[in-house]
Amino acid sequence: MIDERLEELASLYALDLIEGAERSAFEREIAADAELRKLVDALREASAQLALTVNAPTPSIELRNRVMASVANRAGRAQPPVPVALTSNVVRPSPLLWLGWAAAAVFAIAALWAGQRYSVNRNELAATQTMAEMEKAAAQTIRNQLEAERLIAIRQTDEFKRAQAEVGTLKQNLATERIQTARQLAELQGKNDLANFKISRLASLLGNSPDATAIAIWNPLTQEGVLTVDKLPALASNQDYQLWVIDPQYPAPVDGGVFAVDSATGVGRATFRPRQPVAQVTKFAVTRERKGGAAAAGEGQMILISQ
Amino acid sequence: MGETTDQTRQTDDARLLQRVASGDQAAFGQLYDRFSRPLYATAARILNDNREAEDIVHDVFIVLWEKASEFHESKGSAFGWAVTLTRNRSIDRIRQRRRRQELLTESAPGDLGYNADHTDDRNSSDDLQIKEKAVTVREAVSSLPAEQKSALELAFFSGLTQQEIAERLQQPLGTVKARIRRGLFKLRDLLSPQLRS
Repeated sequence: MIDERLEELASLYALDLIEGAERSAFEREIAADAELRKLVDALREASAQLALTVNAPTPSIELRNRVMASVANRAGRAQPPVPVALTSNVVRPSPLLWLGWAAAAVFAIAALWAGQRYSVNRNELAATQTMAEMEKAAAQTIRNQLEAERLIAIRQTDEFKRAQAEVGTLKQNLATERIQTARQLAELQGKNDLANFKISRLASLLGNSPDATAIAIWNPLTQEGVLTVDKLPALASNQDYQLWVIDPQYPAPVDGGVFAVDSATGVGRATFRPRQPVAQVTKFAVTRERKGGAAAAGEGQMILISQ
Repeated sequence: MGETTDQTRQTDDARLLQRVASGDQAAFGQLYDRFSRPLYATAARILNDNREAEDIVHDVFIVLWEKASEFHESKGSAFGWAVTLTRNRSIDRIRQRRRRQELLTESAPGDLGYNADHTDDRNSSDDLQIKEKAVTVREAVSSLPAEQKSALELAFFSGLTQQEIAERLQQPLGTVKARIRRGLFKLRDLLSPQLRS
């Protein structure tokens, strides 16, 4: 019993549609199964009949002569191709029999020679055409390669130009950054230059705390300063000390912020940044104000002022 | 009647091949006249090139001459053997073309040409036999469902692989295999009176 799987394989095998390991395995099955072998033969025979469904021109008589000449050569006998019309004709004796045979022999030899020459020429022509096709294909391949290389070269040139432009831009950016860095470096150096700092000592205005003192260090470039105080009187819980910066460009002192001190020692340290830009400091002053500081100078008691 | 004629023809073919095996060139000439047209038509259909088809037919007949003694009637008909040789060589040629990156589509047949006019006016008895047989085969193939017919057509004439046939028909591979199987089995059944069992 042949199952559907084997039927399918038999069909594909009959049409040479299975290959490799699958083909080898199926051939082993065929070798072991006479019924399967018979089925394959029948299917192959049926498929061969498809050849009869095709319409095509009759092959040329030259092909027949060529085939017959090739076979005659292989047979090692210098016999002419057997013409179709002669195979069924009956040759009758006649007075000119020998002459006819001689003519036929000459004709046959001539036909054989012509057939062989045709075969040789045709084979040479076919070989030449094949060579020409191969050379044409090789030339086309070379053309394709050259075209590919040309395109690659164009692309590489474009990429090189683009890279050059990028390098130019990078150089420009680098130069700009160098200038900026140099400027920033100079600025930083200027910021840290002590020669630009203003240092001011503040003295007490209080009779009961004559030793109260403060030192203010002001950096005009950064608009920042540090205030250190010592021995300031302790504040009530609702009070703050407030620093003021006197700049002639303003009619009133500029607020420098509030700060607290240690109630036991009167020591304090604060970094300050005036609320308005300061161009020139003439004096610093410290007042005692309500908690959070005053909006403008004049409310609280002045405690310290620059000497 | 047709069955008897066909069996007689097959027997005649086998006898001719036996004579060819013994070096009988006249028998070879007769065999050529019986087979050359369908073999040439098959090669031309597969290759879509008459010159290449002639080369294939030439080579096939040389094989028949040289290997005639290896033919066993028990494995099929002489005609079937010759067709198989022709088809295999034509497909090999197609695959050589493919390796040269030529377009296979140009060589795949669009149809089997059932409706085409006959261009041959030869009228030998061999031709008449072939024509009668061809009519029978064409009728059998025409009676197949269209999808089985197209699958068989590509399987036999195109030189495509199973997968390529499936892609060409835009069908799953399993479906294509089943169509080929059903089509070929039907064809065998329809032609069985003509074919030797």
